[in-house]
Amino acid sequence: MRLTLSRLARLALLLPLAAGVTLAAQQASGPGPITNDDLVQGLKADGSNWLTFGGNYANHRFSPLTQITPDNVAKLQPLWTFQTNTLGNFETTTLLRDNVLYVTGPQNVAWAVDARSGRQIWRYRRELPDNLTACCGLVNRGFAALGETLFMTTLDAHLLALDMKTGAVVWDATLEDYKIGYASTLAPLVVKDKVIVGVAGGEYGIRGFIDAYDAKTGKRAWRFHTIPGPGEPGFNSWSGDSWKIGGTGVWVTGAYDPDTNAVFFGTGNPGPDYHGPSREGDNLYSCSLVVLDPDTGKLKWHYQFTPHDVHDYDATEVPILADLPINGQTRKAVLFANRNGFYYTLDRLTGKVIVAKPFVQTTWAKAIDPQGRPMLETGHTPDEKGERTCPDLTGGTNFWPPSYDPRTHLFFVNAREACATFYGYKSEYVPGQRFTGGAQQLVNNRDEKPFGALRAIDPVTGERKWEFLMPTPSRAGILTTASNLLFSGDGDGNLLVLDSRTGALLWRYQLGATLHGTSPITYMLDGRQHVLVPSGTTLTAWALPEGAPAGRP
Amino acid sequence: MRRVRAALVAAAMCLAGGGLVFAQAEPPAINPLAGDSAAVQAGMGMFRSRCADCHGMDARGVRGPDLTQVWASGRSDAGLFRTLRRGVPGTEMPSVGPRTSDDEVWKILAYLKTIAAPTITDVVTGNAAHGQQVFRAQCAGCHRVDGTGGRLGPDLSRIGAARARGAIVRRVRGATEDFLEGYEPVIITLTNGQTVRGVRKNGDLFSVQIMDGRERIQGYLTKDVRAVTAGKASAMPVFDVQRLSESDLTDLLAWFATLKGFDPSVQ
Repeated sequence: MRLTLSRLARLALLLPLAAGVTLAAQQASGPGPITNDDLVQGLKADGSNWLTFGGNYANHRFSPLTQITPDNVAKLQPLWTFQTNTLGNFETTTLLRDNVLYVTGPQNVAWAVDARSGRQIWRYRRELPDNLTACCGLVNRGFAALGETLFMTTLDAHLLALDMKTGAVVWDATLEDYKIGYASTLAPLVVKDKVIVGVAGGEYGIRGFIDAYDAKTGKRAWRFHTIPGPGEPGFNSWSGDSWKIGGTGVWVTGAYDPDTNAVFFGTGNPGPDYHGPSREGDNLYSCSLVVLDPDTGKLKWHYQFTPHDVHDYDATEVPILADLPINGQTRKAVLFANRNGFYYTLDRLTGKVIVAKPFVQTTWAKAIDPQGRPMLETGHTPDEKGERTCPDLTGGTNFWPPSYDPRTHLFFVNAREACATFYGYKSEYVPGQRFTGGAQQLVNNRDEKPFGALRAIDPVTGERKWEFLMPTPSRAGILTTASNLLFSGDGDGNLLVLDSRTGALLWRYQLGATLHGTSPITYMLDGRQHVLVPSGTTLTAWALPEGAPAGRP
Repeated sequence: MRRVRAALVAAAMCLAGGGLVFAQAEPPAINPLAGDSAAVQAGMGMFRSRCADCHGMDARGVRGPDLTQVWASGRSDAGLFRTLRRGVPGTEMPSVGPRTSDDEVWKILAYLKTIAAPTITDVVTGNAAHGQQVFRAQCAGCHRVDGTGGRLGPDLSRIGAARARGAIVRRVRGATEDFLEGYEPVIITLTNGQTVRGVRKNGDLFSVQIMDGRERIQGYLTKDVRAVTAGKASAMPVFDVQRLSESDLTDLLAWFATLKGFDPSVQ
């Protein structure tokens, strides 16, 4: 019997059974375009997808999924491995939507990968010019998504919109001229109808900015210069013309707070990196957290972690937004472990420092004073003779994402213990050439070797709750789950699973390459919780064996 | 600086026949920044931050050769420029990398020139032929030259080019500034109490890879052994004057000075 649509509709009204039929039809066609509400919900709804860089807008990287537990995690099985077949390594966080992974890789190659099989669905490859100035590897840190569109920044300083179904370019916006040192590597941040991005190039004498583009058209909505221009507040924090080439890139994704309508971005180092006399003053807004209105790009407030930085302490770490119980009240806070060696809890509405405490050995400043300014130690100005400072230029931590467990209010970070001799000397600015005014030599000998430690920090006090020590510093991002698991990596290629309450090692696997700035994600697929790990040039998917008893508590 | 760059470009274009093979252009024969005080100052900072770890703050050589002797031993500005640009393949000497401009390479060399010895101060004396016999008797159990000898210690086939004479003397006489990666002493205690001594090739939190005293290469999982301990003393014995006389050492050094390996970039 042939059913017309109207007859089917009538049947659906009459028969309870038909409701199942319509549901099945909906499932076959997928969950539909990604909405702004999906992004605001983040992992809150059911944690089955992973739609933004940080899992949610607050960058918690905390999943509500509980099928994999401390008791059964050692039974995890690899399901498949995906190889990029490119040069260079992953530095990405993958997205998962409707059983498909969306992945950016080195050299602006990107893929849609079937999460069931690890097989490629489409591949995008950008023709890149051969005279790129990207300072630190031809990397990319991930997609953003809205509707049926993916957004990706490029090494030649463009922002692309790609069709999620095909990988075809929908629009291509130019951020700036790559030939004079601009590049872009961060995962974009979608807020409402805009795509927010920043530029790298702090080692090439750029003048940094944060841009917003219309998600539909690619038309620029606003630009916020991270270095103020003439007449703007903060302009006189740069001597002479140094503001024109003062760096201050933005190359790590920020956070978004829908309640206060604010985006939070960490900014990079002033340039030249090590030669302070080339740019006297505080050098606003370098090494800062800048908080902008996402509709207009107007600055709401800023906090400068390292005024007049001379050690390349970019504040390009991932900000985490959290509501903390402090003195019997709930306070809206920003949690920030900084490359300069200090851990900060800031008031999210005002930028006032609530907690500032070193989380690694830190020698350049004694403490942060009540006004939020570092109390400097003497003898930490790099010159031709060299001076020794901890942490080294890579810092106490860096771009690799931390995680936050909102149930226990614990903040997790992959910390580095390392010192260096810093050298500073005058360099001349030549457009498109490296402009660092110095360099560092890592202190690494028989008696003093750098090491790593994955640390759990109480953001209310700044106290360390536990640590997991590693012989080689790690650059791995962190994922935590509601079943008290912490997924990350060490500095020698091991995937680590720790108990997030104690730091005890539960399981490990030697992947053959580190999680260099990558972070595992977790999602549901056909009723099983999966963990996806990018490392080196591979993605590896893990799950418990089929038919294993669910570990729900 | 623009003028210097223009001069470099002009020189490069002449050498490359009108700039057709611009990227392959030969460097100028003479350092265009020689004697420029600003270049020397910047060059010192670059040298100290990028080269001094191996060549020493005074450039007299630690894990790398003594650079105060290179001009006196016949190297040219252009040849040294190429060595910095390309590195020395198959050795610890890396290239300065594509992100270092030609100007920066010349600045490093401008600084080094200011501390260069006018004539060779490390004059080789001693009997090299006898030095080779000393090597066979005392060193070849662990060290290899041109395919002959042991493998527990580093290959010394180009020791004459790779190490300053003073650094070799200090090492032989027992100083260990630092352990060389891949040769750090390690002791593994097995569950039956037996110990295995060797040098550490690699390792992580969960395993260690070694070469033991009988040149067996082997990995151990830390969960399967009682302990993995870093050795305090180098696997290389101390050769004091009782063990190696001053004249034997002088002869050994004379033979070492002849060992340059295969280094096509040296001109």
